[in-house]
Amino acid sequence: MQRFTYLSPKTLTEALERMQTYAGRIRPLAGGTDLMVELRRDDGTLSGMDYALDLTDIPELTGISNQSGRVTVGAMATHDAVAHSSVIRSAADMLSEASLSVGAQQIRNVATIGGNVCNAAVAADTLSPLAALDADVTLQSVSGTRELPLADFITGAGKTVIRPDELLTQIAFVPLTGWHTAFVKLGRRKALAISRMNVAAALKLEGGRIAGVRISPGCVFASPRRVSAAEELLLGSKPSKELFERCGKAVSEEMVKITGVRWSTEYKYPALSAIVSRALCIAAGIPEEAT
Amino acid sequence: MSELKFILNDKPVCVEVEDNARLLDVIRDTLGLTGTKEGCGVGECGACTVIVDGDAVNSCLMPAMRVMGKCVTTVEGLAKDGRLDRLQQAVLDHHALQCGFCTPGFLMSAKALLDKNPHPTREEIKVALAGNLCRCTGYEQMIEAVLDAAEREE
Repeated sequence: MQRFTYLSPKTLTEALERMQTYAGRIRPLAGGTDLMVELRRDDGTLSGMDYALDLTDIPELTGISNQSGRVTVGAMATHDAVAHSSVIRSAADMLSEASLSVGAQQIRNVATIGGNVCNAAVAADTLSPLAALDADVTLQSVSGTRELPLADFITGAGKTVIRPDELLTQIAFVPLTGWHTAFVKLGRRKALAISRMNVAAALKLEGGRIAGVRISPGCVFASPRRVSAAEELLLGSKPSKELFERCGKAVSEEMVKITGVRWSTEYKYPALSAIVSRALCIAAGIPEEAT
Repeated sequence: MSELKFILNDKPVCVEVEDNARLLDVIRDTLGLTGTKEGCGVGECGACTVIVDGDAVNSCLMPAMRVMGKCVTTVEGLAKDGRLDRLQQAVLDHHALQCGFCTPGFLMSAKALLDKNPHPTREEIKVALAGNLCRCTGYEQMIEAVLDAAEREE
């Protein structure tokens, strides 16, 4: 196990001061379910890390609320908290479903949504719903606070624009009240499997027609994003299985357009189309028997 | 080295630990309670499951210093006054173990579940136990044991 000095601040101010003082030599420890494994590997990738800043004792970072038309989720909210939060259940059920699909109960009890976002893994389960929600992240340091869209925060696989003295403190989005959402994940098994592929989808129905749509596939692009070309296909139409299947293909087309044809495309193309179509059917309440 | 104080199985303990120690190592090596097992060491198998302030967690992924001032329960804390916990008795009655390596972890996940949800459905039990791998007995007996334990008097 790599050696480090353990710090456990009780307030955000104290945590930010530590980040400033030890910038470059300190790493925030959120749930630790990834970092503890990496530290134990002790393969030199974290060799510059002299301090671990455990954020679990800072109550300011765990709140989930819906105020003045904006949902805010503290970066240290655990996946279990996100999965069972009545606020998130009603504002963005697909995010709760994504958190519920992470790891197993022992992992969800400690792993956090902020850790998931900062790791920026391509297979991170909460990134697809957060991208579908056009979420913003708040970064804080001693010198100030900045808020930026998730799409600008994550620049590639495992890459973010966070500075060495900053902490991600909050994630915020406009609730999709009255929308119908779904999260579908393809993994090797139900529990403890990372996503091979996933998708978050949201539909707003007005007078039997689709008045709003968000589709964000996971594990498909280097960083999470909505697929507007596929979304536009649905606007103004009546929900139907055929339409959703066409939309699924459009998402796969976008994948090929962005990432090119790879050895895995033969599998990924139909699999992605199928889970997109399935998610839209679930959201719209259309039975989707196996085809 | 830092001083770590916490409640272990209802008794206060105070130990000197390395800052980078895992809770698992402190429980097994420093405190000598070897009921908690190390399987994979990366949070996949659940053999190291303990309860911290009511939540089942993988002790292999938890920095020991994080439990400062908290209540930790290991499998050794289940039996009271020489009497097995109802979950332990149900596991015996349902033959829900063979080699026994995964059993302490299973018991702690099940214990955390019943403490929060005294009458879980079969589906809720499956979700609660999904992070515990067993390579010999299989899961059906474990689920039956938890269902049965929930019906027994504490």
